[in-house]
Amino acid sequence: MKQFADSANATFSDLTETATLCPYCGVGCALNYGSDSEGVIHYAKGRDGASNAGRLCVKGRYGFDYAAHPQRLTRPLIRRDDAYPRGPLSTFSRANSSGPRKPGGIVDYAEVLPHFREATWEEALERAASGLAKVRDTHGAHALAGFGSAKGSNEEAYLFQKFIRTVLGTNNVDHCTRLCHASSVYALIEGIGSGAVTNVVRDVENAEVAVIAGCNPTANHPVAASFMKQAAAKGTGLLAVNVRRPGMASYCEQYCQITPGSDVAFYNAVMHVIIAEDLHDQAFINQRTEGFEALAKAVKPYTPEAAEAMTGVPAAQITAFARRLGQAQSAMFFWGMGISQHVFGTDNARCLIALALLTGNIGRPGTGLHPLRGQNNVQGASDAGLVPMYYPGYQAVSDASVRERFEQLWNVSLPEQPGLTTAEITHAALEGEIRGLYCMGENPFLSDPDMNQVRKALSSLDCLVVQDLFITETAEFADVILPASAFMEKRGTFTNTDRRVQIGRPVRQPPGQARQDWHILRDLAQRLGHDWDYADESAVFDEFVQAAPLYANLTYDRLGEHGRWYPCPDANSEGERVLFGDQFPIGRGRFVPAELGQAPDLPDDDYPLVLNTGRQLEHWHTGVMTRRSRALDALAPEARVEVHPSDAKRLGITDGSWTTLRSRRGAVEVQAHITRDVALGTLFLPMHFREAAANLLTTPELDPFGKIPQFKICAVALAPLSTPLTPPQPDAVSHAAG
Amino acid sequence: MSDVTLTIDGRRVTVPEGTTIWDAAQTLGIDIPVLCHDPRLDPVGVCRVCAVDVGERTLPAACVRAVSPDMEVRTDTQEILAHRRVLTELLLADQPAVSQREQTTGDDKLYALAREVKVTDIPWPDQSERQPRGQDASSPVIAVDHQACIMCDRCVRACDDIQHNDVITRTGKGYSARIAFDLDVPMGESSCVSCGECVAVCPTGALTHQSLATTDAG
Repeated sequence: MKQFADSANATFSDLTETATLCPYCGVGCALNYGSDSEGVIHYAKGRDGASNAGRLCVKGRYGFDYAAHPQRLTRPLIRRDDAYPRGPLSTFSRANSSGPRKPGGIVDYAEVLPHFREATWEEALERAASGLAKVRDTHGAHALAGFGSAKGSNEEAYLFQKFIRTVLGTNNVDHCTRLCHASSVYALIEGIGSGAVTNVVRDVENAEVAVIAGCNPTANHPVAASFMKQAAAKGTGLLAVNVRRPGMASYCEQYCQITPGSDVAFYNAVMHVIIAEDLHDQAFINQRTEGFEALAKAVKPYTPEAAEAMTGVPAAQITAFARRLGQAQSAMFFWGMGISQHVFGTDNARCLIALALLTGNIGRPGTGLHPLRGQNNVQGASDAGLVPMYYPGYQAVSDASVRERFEQLWNVSLPEQPGLTTAEITHAALEGEIRGLYCMGENPFLSDPDMNQVRKALSSLDCLVVQDLFITETAEFADVILPASAFMEKRGTFTNTDRRVQIGRPVRQPPGQARQDWHILRDLAQRLGHDWDYADESAVFDEFVQAAPLYANLTYDRLGEHGRWYPCPDANSEGERVLFGDQFPIGRGRFVPAELGQAPDLPDDDYPLVLNTGRQLEHWHTGVMTRRSRALDALAPEARVEVHPSDAKRLGITDGSWTTLRSRRGAVEVQAHITRDVALGTLFLPMHFREAAANLLTTPELDPFGKIPQFKICAVALAPLSTPLTPPQPDAVSHAAG
Repeated sequence: MSDVTLTIDGRRVTVPEGTTIWDAAQTLGIDIPVLCHDPRLDPVGVCRVCAVDVGERTLPAACVRAVSPDMEVRTDTQEILAHRRVLTELLLADQPAVSQREQTTGDDKLYALAREVKVTDIPWPDQSERQPRGQDASSPVIAVDHQACIMCDRCVRACDDIQHNDVITRTGKGYSARIAFDLDVPMGESSCVSCGECVAVCPTGALTHQSLATTDAG
């Protein structure tokens, strides 16, 4: 007779589960890591968080092992004297094109590491501090700049901007929000007086319709997407607008595929129909808004027929879209990079805000504006003042009374001049105006547009200090590399896309001599003569709350395991889910009309196709984390450019065949994926793969308001790769070897 | 909606009409064992482990049966305990010798139940050698062992109703019935997006995380 084999695994008896968060996207899923006494994480389990209700996606569930990757930096590194003049160190980073014959995967340490030597913290911090101080003393504080990170905690963001402003003495501090929602935030602050979402994702279940504009939540916010799909199953009508078919389209009542850059024409036409058919909310417009007449006048010429010619969407579809939206009792508006990453990104966002004001869809359950934030702390980093024009809590640097208040709080005199934004800092470096850069957890070499220019900019610096987990492509240019801590090694608060402030807790120690990021900042500040002293992270948070009334009533104790939303009206409140039920921070909401703009870098005979860039489910931004996750790397090891079947047939390209993709700035060689998700004449390339680096191709032009680059449109030519291929170089630092 | 008062193991409880016996018991702190149900899922009552005595000819599944006024529920009679134990033995009869779930996340609910009801011998035939039900290791992150599957339907509901990915379904008949992906292709070739929700809800070693150490040379 068979016996019951009691196979309970003894190794699980000493596992502890730590309540923390997912390190990836802005949804901010709560999870537990099961880890052993050595700090090895065995699994992630979804926890009942306000934004995820126990759910996780592939990145949260399987992408946690990057922190334990053998390439983690364990000692400070200093560039050897013979590695100057400064420049890229790897074959990949030197090349002005990329492809299968160039090294792919992650940075090859065998090639890069010999150019650095290990140093003590004492020496490395001295080198970093004196390098930055020398630039300040020689060229002035405005020759310095800092890139913080939206992957860091609120405390780290707060201290980083404080370091740049008070210790270095410049407002040249920014982070990757500039590359994702800067234009949305500009339009929101202008239109309603607040850059954060007005309602949380999960309230989509109370919406009669939801507009899913220029975003691909099933890939980029998968757990948020699951709530949208659930809402759709229970009757919420989803309406998607995109240039590339999002996974969500299968769950939508209507999907409108517009031509690249025609968003303003589409939404103006929708507003035209809503006004013409009297579907607007006149009472809301009268009581809560200003500027309606100007908007009505501006959208008048955008008849559905006129818009059909501009957007490629049949007039009848535009009218149907407008009626469904206009007749709904409640509507939510979700948008992503397809709206924001244009030279007219601010105009695109203005249209969505106007559409919400026009239909009275802000301030009630099931209504609201929700730009889906990308990084886990992109909301918090901006709230903490990691942007050049605002101190913590969106208090303008240009306002003398605000500046005075911060001078008192921080006990220093502060620079008056507002700072430069991310891409402006790169441009200023090329002009020789920025001479020193402190880069904490960002990888501008891969993330910023027009890589060939970024390479020149980084090479031209007198001082570059990089603080990161690994030698990133950017760190190849550094004088000093400071080994920092990963998400699962630190305690700190993170603010998700819903404005929910939650605490992340450590489950493992930083490896070797790697340090907490905020300790490094504190030590550098002390070395440069500033008396920084905080007992722990919660003391930093308390000072941040004191600086930013936005976060009033929040403390570590009150946040506990489940966090709270801000604004939080009193100490016992959960915080507010839905904002602006009575009035906007600026009083009345402002209609800001927009005209269809002309994108730079449009197709011509030589570059006949339009390239769109973006993210894919399994990977994260420049791949520094996800390409070092065995599971995620195994699921999606290669870049593919998406090509419409008719374009592919015309060009002689088959699924999986190698192609050359060339823009006016660079070229990559990449395999093709034939799909009807992309429209005829358009292509899509994910941004995560350095061997097919999308930003070799992209154009550096910026939106005049948000200063966001136009990542979504650049003209390219696509051709089959004619020369015979040598097999792709095996990644010299494989997981086994590294 | 009106409230309903009933008795569970001699304790009176009042719950809203439509509440299941299982949920009503939870409010009293009575944990009725169940394998196919999870509070995040709509109950289907297929594993029958949560069967209780309500004085009827048969034993209804507590996870799906709604309460009714003055219902007298017993969750721990000798008959119930025997029923639960036999069901557990039957489910264990063709399980793999070692639970993969206990090796990865340590939370195999079937094995835990077996310990709770003190199963030692399994006096039922083991079909697994004559008719093995197979494994699927095609996904880099999720290991499928049909042999450990008890057809509780949790993964199907998690995939359809929680994540709305609609990948997992059932196929086959009788002993060859099993879960399948899309139109019965290997999981790694299906439209699965590897969210792992099915692994999270699976009560046995049927769906487990691939060991991260074996997905790569490292």
